[in-house]
Amino acid sequence: MLRASVVERLAIATASTALALLIGVTIVAAAGYDPVQFLVSLINGAVGGESAIARTLRFSTLFILTGVAVAVAFRAGVFNIGVQGQFVVGGIATVMSIIWTAPLLPEGTVGGAGLILIGFVAGTFAGGVYGALPGALKAYADANVIITTIMLNFIATGVVGWLVQNPFRGEGNAAPNTERIPEYVSFPSVVFDSSGFSVIGLAIALATVAVIYVVMERSRFGYDMVTSGYQESAATYSGVSAKRTVVLTMTLSGMVAGIAGAVFAVMIQGYYTDPSGIGTYGFDAIAVSLLAANNPLGIVPAGLLFGGLESAGSHIGIYTDVPVQLIDGVIGLVILFVAVPELFRMAAVRTGLGGDR
Amino acid sequence: MSFAEYAKRNSLGIAGIAVLVAGAAIAAVAMDLPFWEIVTIGFVERSLQAATPIALTAIGGLYAEKSGVFNIGVEGFMIFGAATAATMMWIISGGSPGQSDVWLAILASVLVSLVFAVLFAVLLIRYEADQIVAGLALWFIGLGFGPFMAVLVWESRNSPSLESINDLTVPVLADIPVLGPIFFDTSPLVMVTAVLAVAAWKFLNDTKYGYWIQAAGENPEALDTAGIDVTRVRYAAVIFSGVMAGLGGAVLLAQAGSFTGTGETMVGGRGWIGIVAYLFGNYNPIGAAVAALVFGGLDMLQIQLQTVGINVPNRLVNLFPYAGVILVLTVWGSTQTPSAVGEPYESEE
Repeated sequence: MLRASVVERLAIATASTALALLIGVTIVAAAGYDPVQFLVSLINGAVGGESAIARTLRFSTLFILTGVAVAVAFRAGVFNIGVQGQFVVGGIATVMSIIWTAPLLPEGTVGGAGLILIGFVAGTFAGGVYGALPGALKAYADANVIITTIMLNFIATGVVGWLVQNPFRGEGNAAPNTERIPEYVSFPSVVFDSSGFSVIGLAIALATVAVIYVVMERSRFGYDMVTSGYQESAATYSGVSAKRTVVLTMTLSGMVAGIAGAVFAVMIQGYYTDPSGIGTYGFDAIAVSLLAANNPLGIVPAGLLFGGLESAGSHIGIYTDVPVQLIDGVIGLVILFVAVPELFRMAAVRTGLGGDR
Repeated sequence: MSFAEYAKRNSLGIAGIAVLVAGAAIAAVAMDLPFWEIVTIGFVERSLQAATPIALTAIGGLYAEKSGVFNIGVEGFMIFGAATAATMMWIISGGSPGQSDVWLAILASVLVSLVFAVLFAVLLIRYEADQIVAGLALWFIGLGFGPFMAVLVWESRNSPSLESINDLTVPVLADIPVLGPIFFDTSPLVMVTAVLAVAAWKFLNDTKYGYWIQAAGENPEALDTAGIDVTRVRYAAVIFSGVMAGLGGAVLLAQAGSFTGTGETMVGGRGWIGIVAYLFGNYNPIGAAVAALVFGGLDMLQIQLQTVGINVPNRLVNLFPYAGVILVLTVWGSTQTPSAVGEPYESEE
């Protein structure tokens, strides 16, 4: 799928994003808003000032993590659309494990660090298990991963939504939320003095990228994953169990999504709420991963771009009357165009920009 | 095809339904549930109505897949269908829709879906888009622009209360016990869907065009050799699937009577369930419609459980159809996918 050289990939990614934005701006103009003002607030919302940059990096951190989660699976030919669900399950596991173990540990920085560690282990584990489930269903019952993971997204949202409304609801909370995790369980503010962003979170994301890159590109397991995704028979002849690989791939992908959920819980939210209202990081991650051609290193710039888009979206939502849903639509258009490299190849041939035919 | 032959070919699907029904019956007996208070005429009627959008989408989707193109964008088409029908109903009627506006809105929505379906088909077939990725993209585009349309018209992701379609009461026939209220005193869209399902089955199995569609998915080279343009057959099937999913979305709206654009919108995975319905129905339009009915029934179970006094939280009961899908795929996973699905076809001339 989507094979092309690095230069071609870059050109396609740029062209896809540009074309999607162009269509977005056209729709803005057609709907009677000022397109120039829209573009200006788009840029201002993404990189205009320190708070905008902190917000962009906050979203980028999540997009990089969820994007890597998607890339792990897609690279191995497994269409894990369930990163959103694994992200949600990881997040609630992080929050609840921290709330439950907080009374057992001393308060303060040391206890806080211990609780963060516990929360991350719980989140990673829960995400991994929730990813392993559709992997096992694929391996042993041949159930289509695309569909089971989409259904598991709905189920995660529904069940966690019910949990925070009822058994996990914080005492005396009017809103359907869990208790807050203790104040001292948070990342220290370094460089940016922003409540929802810490450089530590971004560092966790980049470290995850590095680990996944090494696993995927430099390890035996990663090699087996990619070969069994693209050439199942070849992998089977060389003694790799395709079934086991699918389960492991989905587990790894779910674990990364769980880390994203943990970062969201600790760095941004501080409690858990109805997942139908927390944003669609796990879905947008599909666009991030495809834009990066499912390459772990490419996820970083793609994640930054999407962080900027999302950040601009929230700016536009506050300061203009252009509906923010437009940004979601534009993200969909980016994915659509990334899926059609042929479109750009033909356009390049027609306009004499390059390509061959 | 005789019934015995049909049963033999679809043994797994029939076994799957039997397992589901038997499981439900055992659960009912074990938990001492008043079975006939749960399965009422009203329940069957509501399940049929809930099944119609899923069935319409499933029938379209299976035509595309039979022809060799996996249209997983149907969820997106449904969202566009529902959003277009809602906004059109509002615009045509100037804000106070009546019954005729509902039908006009459905028609308008089908026409708009046709335009989108043509564009999508060009990307899939002419430009050889990755079918899975492009289909997913369409879902996201729907999730963005569907609510966007609602915000433009009503400044909210949800529409105010519009008009929903009236039941059609057929004189005399409606008085037949049990069958009367289920088929002849209900939304006319239920009957339309049932007729479409049978027609789609006849067309696919008993006409030369139906054979062309099947050949385009199973053995495109042979069809090409026979002098039929594979690409044109696939265009027709993909466009049909987009239009049917758009119609499914419009029908969903016409039955609900208002548009909901929050979360995963009012469509809420019904397009994906439609895909599972046709896999479950083994690419048979009638089988797909029956499978849609199973999911429609799961969707409507909540009201029944409440009336007999079983209080399972709504939020959890609403998940039954999704859990049902996973169960169906697990019990009955491998499907007989047409052999050339997903491969672009290039004629050698």
